[in-house]
Amino acid sequence: MKLTISDVVLLGHAACGILGTLAALWVFVEVLNAREENARRIRWGATAVVICMCAACVLGGYWYLTAYPAEKAIILKGPWPSAHNVFMETKEHLFFVTLILALYLPIAAAEQLDANAMARKMVLCVALLIVLTGMAIEGAGAIVNHGVKVALLSGN
Amino acid sequence: MIRDSLKLGRASAAFALSATITVLFNTFLACAKDAYQPLSRFMASLAGHNWTTQGLADLVIFFGLGLIFLQTGWAGKMDPRRLIFLLTAAVVVAGAGLFVWYVLV
Repeated sequence: MKLTISDVVLLGHAACGILGTLAALWVFVEVLNAREENARRIRWGATAVVICMCAACVLGGYWYLTAYPAEKAIILKGPWPSAHNVFMETKEHLFFVTLILALYLPIAAAEQLDANAMARKMVLCVALLIVLTGMAIEGAGAIVNHGVKVALLSGN
Repeated sequence: MIRDSLKLGRASAAFALSATITVLFNTFLACAKDAYQPLSRFMASLAGHNWTTQGLADLVIFFGLGLIFLQTGWAGKMDPRRLIFLLTAAVVVAGAGLFVWYVLV
């Protein structure tokens, strides 16, 4: 198997994205049962979210700017042009929403969550939004990937 | 018995409001540059690609507004329930809005 830098960057981008989403789910579950004892774990989880999402942004951004134009041309000639026109366009802009939420999460999680109902609600809400947008972005990534595959299989 | 606080901290409230505005700004900018190509080209001239410029603009607005709201304390005076609702609504509008925009355009 020949693995190029572009492959490593793309797979690293997807891996960081899903790890960030899972870390947000971890934060959500911890905050459902917020106590003094798990406060440090919640903050570590929130830090993991922001690190993973920033890494996903840098890797995905690099791949999008350097390798994606060739794949975009293949998709647009194939039977699924909306894999780019709808799903990639939505994904690349929705990602900034997830990134902003991820950057905010450690700020919200820095509060004393076991003694502040509103802070708990805010962290639960932000973590859940990261999970939902993260899953939507991962799904869109799979559709973009399939757009390239069906284009290549149809001989374009 | 320990009673739960019902107020967000200054930083949490400030950056929640800043995140809400940034999410809406990001959605508006994505649609605007898609509809008006000169804007997209101008953004590309600033950082090499319009997407890069958009990301940098989002970061500047999120941290810039967050620090301003932190200094002024405006966001801290808002009802925390309203802040949570506004942030959630902004993300829902952004997700649905972007998808519908690219389906229709």
